[in-house]
Amino acid sequence: MTETQVLDRERIRTLFDLRSSYNARAGGDFTADPYPAWRRLRESGPVHEGTVHELTGYPGTALFQGLPEPDRPHYSAFSHAALDQAYRNPEVFASSPEAVDTTTVSGVTNSMLSMGGDQHRRYRALVQPSFVPAKARWWITNWIEETVHSLIDGFAGEGRAELNVDFCAAIPVLTITGGFGIPVGQALDMREALNRPMEIVEMLRPVVAARREAPQDDLISVLVEAELKDEDGTTHRLSDAEIYSFALLLLFAGSGTTWKQMGITLTALLQRPELLAQIKDDRSKLRPAIEEALRWMPTDPMFSRFVTRDVELEGTRLPEGSVLHLCLGAANRDPARWDRPDEYDITRPMRASFAFGGGPHICLGMHVARAEISTGIGALLDRLPNLRLDPDAEPPRYIGMYERGVTEIPVVFG
Amino acid sequence: MAARVAVDRALCLGSGMCLVYAPGTFEHDDQAKAVVREPAGDPADVVETAVEACPTGALSLLPEQDGA
Ligand code: HEM
Ligand code: SF4
Repeated sequence: MTETQVLDRERIRTLFDLRSSYNARAGGDFTADPYPAWRRLRESGPVHEGTVHELTGYPGTALFQGLPEPDRPHYSAFSHAALDQAYRNPEVFASSPEAVDTTTVSGVTNSMLSMGGDQHRRYRALVQPSFVPAKARWWITNWIEETVHSLIDGFAGEGRAELNVDFCAAIPVLTITGGFGIPVGQALDMREALNRPMEIVEMLRPVVAARREAPQDDLISVLVEAELKDEDGTTHRLSDAEIYSFALLLLFAGSGTTWKQMGITLTALLQRPELLAQIKDDRSKLRPAIEEALRWMPTDPMFSRFVTRDVELEGTRLPEGSVLHLCLGAANRDPARWDRPDEYDITRPMRASFAFGGGPHICLGMHVARAEISTGIGALLDRLPNLRLDPDAEPPRYIGMYERGVTEIPVVFG
Repeated sequence: MAARVAVDRALCLGSGMCLVYAPGTFEHDDQAKAVVREPAGDPADVVETAVEACPTGALSLLPEQDGA
């Protein structure tokens, strides 16, 4: 079966349905613009008591990392300086309330996302070499380009398309599962099981076993061959359970995020036709356009930390045991760091934002995500002449609380 | 004027942030640790942006030695 046949548009539409993908649990029904509220909050103080969604005025319960934790006091930070201090002090602002035991069940909470200190460093070092900028080519030529072009093949002849689901959605999952060494057909089954991690583990089991027998040029092979140095200096190979936790983390952390960030970037550009035309003619401008979209509208605007001892942050006393929510969406528009922070301006001098987090847990997949977004948008510009928003359709809107993205992106071309 | 910069290998976790902001200066070795490939590879302010971007504080600017 060719990839084009497998990437059936109807299957993709069912799998990546926008209504169910804007996970209601993470505040998917939030449609207002949170940035004015975040500006007021940041102006009235860098750290506030309460969760980000409560302080923003979202009436429901929204879940994300560090939530709901009903028995702990909650605080939220909104300034760049407050986030910078918290990210750079992971002993006081820890990624989980207790130590991670990798020998128990596989899952994202047992992955390096929740680890601290030396344990985190040792696990992360095993995969970091597969995610460095120099590896972007490996990801692009092996998986990203093929997926991107077969998706465009599906609608290039039609003169119109909906780019959020028909294009952006499937690229990240197929990139990661491709990296695992899993064929496209099965990759979509994996996506279908995303909320049932044990089924994903069952799909991974034969791949892990096969790679233990005969390693190949893929991530599962990297993981089966990796040697972890324990605290006492002895080395051990990763157990199957540890490999599944790694794989689940990559699937969870890398799929929805990159999809939604690509949609946000495309929308920002389609809403600015002159800028899009400039980028089409001068591709060196695509990179600053992607970076500026990350600063201006990061898909995950909040991550949380657990306070391990009484501490003062920018004038607010945080008790041991409380949760500190880092509103990176607000910090990314702090006027103390960026002039005219609410403007999407690709000519800004390049400097780091918190779109990929900060401190030792900074996004592992950032260079892969950038490669997917630039390959994807670059290919659309190459192949679809006169690409523009469909003037007769409802324009895309930015929505979501803790997983932000856009509604449908209807375009016409040719 | 080239800024001189040092990498603390124990602190570097291989994030690649410095390679994003000062690609003329930094590269990774095969353990994904940052190394300075070309001390004069980027203007000083670009290197400062990379130093500030390092999430683990593994980079530090060294004082100019010969007034270059
Ligand atoms: C534009 C897309 C993406 C965004 C905005 C994003 C954002 C983030 C953020 C903010 C964090 C920090 C979480 C924290 O502080 O607790 C993070 C961590 C992480 N991300 Fe991403 N991410 C993206 C794409 C990816 C991709 C494509 C992958 C993998 C292929 C990935 C894998 C990870 C992993 C493994 C971590 C945990 C790192 C650690 O704990 O050391 N991400 N990401
Ligand atoms: S930014 Fe810091 S942690 Fe990341 S590769 Fe460079 S020196 Fe290492």
